[in-house]
Amino acid sequence: MTRRARQGALGLALVLPPLFLLAFLVVLPAVTAVVDTLTPAGGGSGPTLANYAQVLATRTVRADIGFTIAVTLVSVAAVFALSYPLALYLRFSRGRVARVLGVLFVVPLFVPVVIASFAMITFLVNHGFVSTIAYHLGTRTFPRLVYNATGITLAQVWVNIPFAVLILGAGLQAIDDALIDGARDVGAGAVRTFVSIILPLNATPTMITLTLLFIGVFGSFTIPYLVGGNAPAMLGVTMTNYLTQYLRRTESVTMAVLAFLIAAVVGAVYVASVSRRERGTA
Amino acid sequence: MSTVLWPWAAGALRRAVGAAALAALAAFILGPLLTLLLWAFAGTWLFPSLWPEFSLRWWAFVLGNADVGKAIRMSFLSAPTATLISAVVCVPAAYAFARLEFPGRRALLLSFLSANAFPKIGLYVSIATLLYRLNLMDTFVGVVLIQLVNTLLFMIWIPTGTFRGINRNLEEAARDAGAGPLRTFFQITLPIALPGIIVAALFAFIAAFDEAQGTLIVGTPNHMTMPVLMYSLVLGYPQPVGAVFSILLSLPSLVLLLLAQRYLRAGYLAAGYSL
Repeated sequence: MTRRARQGALGLALVLPPLFLLAFLVVLPAVTAVVDTLTPAGGGSGPTLANYAQVLATRTVRADIGFTIAVTLVSVAAVFALSYPLALYLRFSRGRVARVLGVLFVVPLFVPVVIASFAMITFLVNHGFVSTIAYHLGTRTFPRLVYNATGITLAQVWVNIPFAVLILGAGLQAIDDALIDGARDVGAGAVRTFVSIILPLNATPTMITLTLLFIGVFGSFTIPYLVGGNAPAMLGVTMTNYLTQYLRRTESVTMAVLAFLIAAVVGAVYVASVSRRERGTA
Repeated sequence: MSTVLWPWAAGALRRAVGAAALAALAAFILGPLLTLLLWAFAGTWLFPSLWPEFSLRWWAFVLGNADVGKAIRMSFLSAPTATLISAVVCVPAAYAFARLEFPGRRALLLSFLSANAFPKIGLYVSIATLLYRLNLMDTFVGVVLIQLVNTLLFMIWIPTGTFRGINRNLEEAARDAGAGPLRTFFQITLPIALPGIIVAALFAFIAAFDEAQGTLIVGTPNHMTMPVLMYSLVLGYPQPVGAVFSILLSLPSLVLLLLAQRYLRAGYLAAGYSL
């Protein structure tokens, strides 16, 4: 065997074990789910869409899908709108405020989502901490901030800010100061510099952030389960209930495949973006 | 570093905006955690009192609960197992991805991102139906498998980056001095890569330890880890119980983070979480 062939064989042998695990944990379940849901219940021949038709005919499931997409889009927009300015501020500011912010925003990264959800409830619920403060400031009516879409969105923002700021910040860090100074030297203002230099140069990290956020919120369970309301519920809660409470496995898996389909394009863009970034740095 | 760039960049206004943003962000991020901390030491806390009546009685209740002991044991058995398995399986593969030429290397490395490209809960439901068939529902193996979904990516990508960053000259010098490939790996490459591997293992452990939604589906009712028990404590008990348990649940990650502090440069954080 040549040296090259030997190295190739050794390389493949070393990466095979984790690939096998990955195939067992991601590929096989996904393929099985698709095949199962296309198989007729009565043992008839040929694939059928009956399971999908049945699940989509359920009014509550349709409502939950719409609700899930809406909450996901709003949450992603909210996280992004807060994270981008924060990442810019941390990139271009020195001094104490920036240093404190730089430590502060990472905190939620190390808080398990179950705890974060519960903490959010104690903080925002009627007669909770915020409502107590508001009471002492003279407010007698308190808006409902948890057990609904507002609660889910606020909790998603809390949990996801660190991811978004870290990814966007790493991208901003990679932009050469000389480019920005150059733009300013030829008279570009802050907004112009941002739109024509920073935004395009940070496009790939921005795509990674947006797609990861979308998939993360769309496929979440803990936050909508604890902080969300009963109906409409997010799809993650509904499919878990179908699986563990109603013991209707087929419907649950059908919803899982529907979720895969809805998120498929976003997932593909995510992988392509990370691939593009890696090619840039490798 | 450019310093003057943004419209608010001028002196006092900029400082005021910064301070206001800091205050708002601090209130939003720390507020829920501080509320939780107060609840953990509250006997009762009646609206509209600003301060609870302090007591440690819920600690006695939580620590005396048999389910809690069981969940702690299950967590401390399963999360280290998942971390260890993923380290043993992934670190050699990471070395191969970084240093060896083989067909399909790039595509195979990217394939590990697929765990992130699926909506997690859909993936867990699909894995559960597979585990039903294999009779692995409500077993220790099933719980470890679910936790592996989240650890593989960390243990592949962070060490791959670390191995790539090591200067090849160091390894070649060792080879020139007569060390074989294995000796070179264990005496030169591995020690240099260790900080990266430790950080990856830390992320993997935290991911495994904190995994709740998949384990709830796969491990109920007899293989509940601490985060899974948290669901029922939040939904079925007075607030201080969930708060006390939250503190117990945060302790391991907190201790590990403090121990590994010197390895945790922002670069590693970004590397780990930009996946």
